[in-house]
Amino acid sequence: MNTILQGKVVCVALNDQQQIDTMKGLFEQAPYQALPTEPVLYFKPHNTWNQGNSPISWPESSDDRLVVGASLALIIDKRCCRVNQHEALNYVKELAILHDFSLPEQSYYRPDIKGKCIDQSATLSESAPLSALGALDKLAISTSVNGIEKSNFKLSQTVRSAQQLIEKISHIMTLEKGDIIAFAFAGERIDVAPNDHVKSVVGSTLQLENLVAGDK
Amino acid sequence: MKHARIEHLGQAIDVTVNDSGDLVTATGEIIEQRNAKWLSPVANPGTIFALGLNYADHASELAFAPPTEPLVFLKGNNTLTGHQTPSYRPDDIDFMHYECELVAVIGKEARNVKREDALAYVHGFTICNDYAIRDFLENYYRPNLRVKSRDSLCPIGPWLVETNDIKDLSKLKIQTHVNGELTQEGSTSDMIFDVPFLIEYLSSFMTLKPGDLIATGTPKGLKDIQPGDVVRCSIESIGTLENPVLSEHDFYAQR
Repeated sequence: MNTILQGKVVCVALNDQQQIDTMKGLFEQAPYQALPTEPVLYFKPHNTWNQGNSPISWPESSDDRLVVGASLALIIDKRCCRVNQHEALNYVKELAILHDFSLPEQSYYRPDIKGKCIDQSATLSESAPLSALGALDKLAISTSVNGIEKSNFKLSQTVRSAQQLIEKISHIMTLEKGDIIAFAFAGERIDVAPNDHVKSVVGSTLQLENLVAGDK
Repeated sequence: MKHARIEHLGQAIDVTVNDSGDLVTATGEIIEQRNAKWLSPVANPGTIFALGLNYADHASELAFAPPTEPLVFLKGNNTLTGHQTPSYRPDDIDFMHYECELVAVIGKEARNVKREDALAYVHGFTICNDYAIRDFLENYYRPNLRVKSRDSLCPIGPWLVETNDIKDLSKLKIQTHVNGELTQEGSTSDMIFDVPFLIEYLSSFMTLKPGDLIATGTPKGLKDIQPGDVVRCSIESIGTLENPVLSEHDFYAQR
């Protein structure tokens, strides 16, 4: 039984320092003009919540590409409003892996509703207690497609830590029990094809598997 | 018919609003407005869509060319607050402005709906004030969540009016008054992408669900809002949504 998605699902984009370093030249030009100074956030709204972990349908709006990002997901345990980073993890009891299936991003300038709001495109693994995972910045998320590892993202590589992000986000919006923050996506998302099997793991504690449906 | 939700004697209840403005419960009990606290008229709001630059005069006011495809962003449900309940102005900012908007409330699941049929998927309409904090704009997913997804910065209500009760959706007068002074005036006739178009557009790539809200953008007429101001957003055939604005400190102190 996978953890149930509910409430607000907040994802953090551009939280991979290596991606920021690579794209710095682009982000200093129009339309961006400057690197982001605050977390870059988007929602996965409720039509995207794939509660039964059913196969991911190929979106009609995609020309020929669908990508997946895997992130560690913080599950908020109680109302969290304007907290300090040093107390931030008191508001998280459980963690899980979130898969975000989306269209590849051509630009970060405008909200990417078409790319991010695909029906049933967000899945969440079973959760594990924070205490079972140890220090977050020592973790890595490995994602494989059909058994071949495509990404191995170390959380030491994030621009902002979970604690810093909880502080920042909880000063924008009050978080409620069950809300989710997915904060550790590798900058480069992974291409998938029909019938692909996607599996992400964090050590031996968390794992999430999804199938991409068979027809385009 | 006008549908509202109120808190009365500590309970959230659904009511209708009769012609004299009294609140009528499902069992016919009448509650005076002064004995009720207004809640968001939608009990379980789903996805909150909002449109940027959807009035040509407003787009040019912000020095943008009108968009050729809808500029849609999402808001969290933490932003919603009822009629006559407070919003806040963050400390240390220079420019916060209201945006009076017509809101379509989705009534049934919609996927690949054509614009001719779109209004059959709408339960009714209400008003929101989609505040923006311009100091916090950055060119990433603009308008970013820090600008548009803050606690209480989207008053909504006072009630939902059923679609049949609105004469002509494409000709509704929109007005905002700040402390009694008229500061924004427009008409839904100047909307670039109208409600049927937006439902066709959104439902072409995602499923709309009952309780989803589409805030359709605001016309020209921006003004900075300060703590102590009272902002009144009116849309013809729907009603008037009024909210006070507190300082950040006072707002969170009383929460």
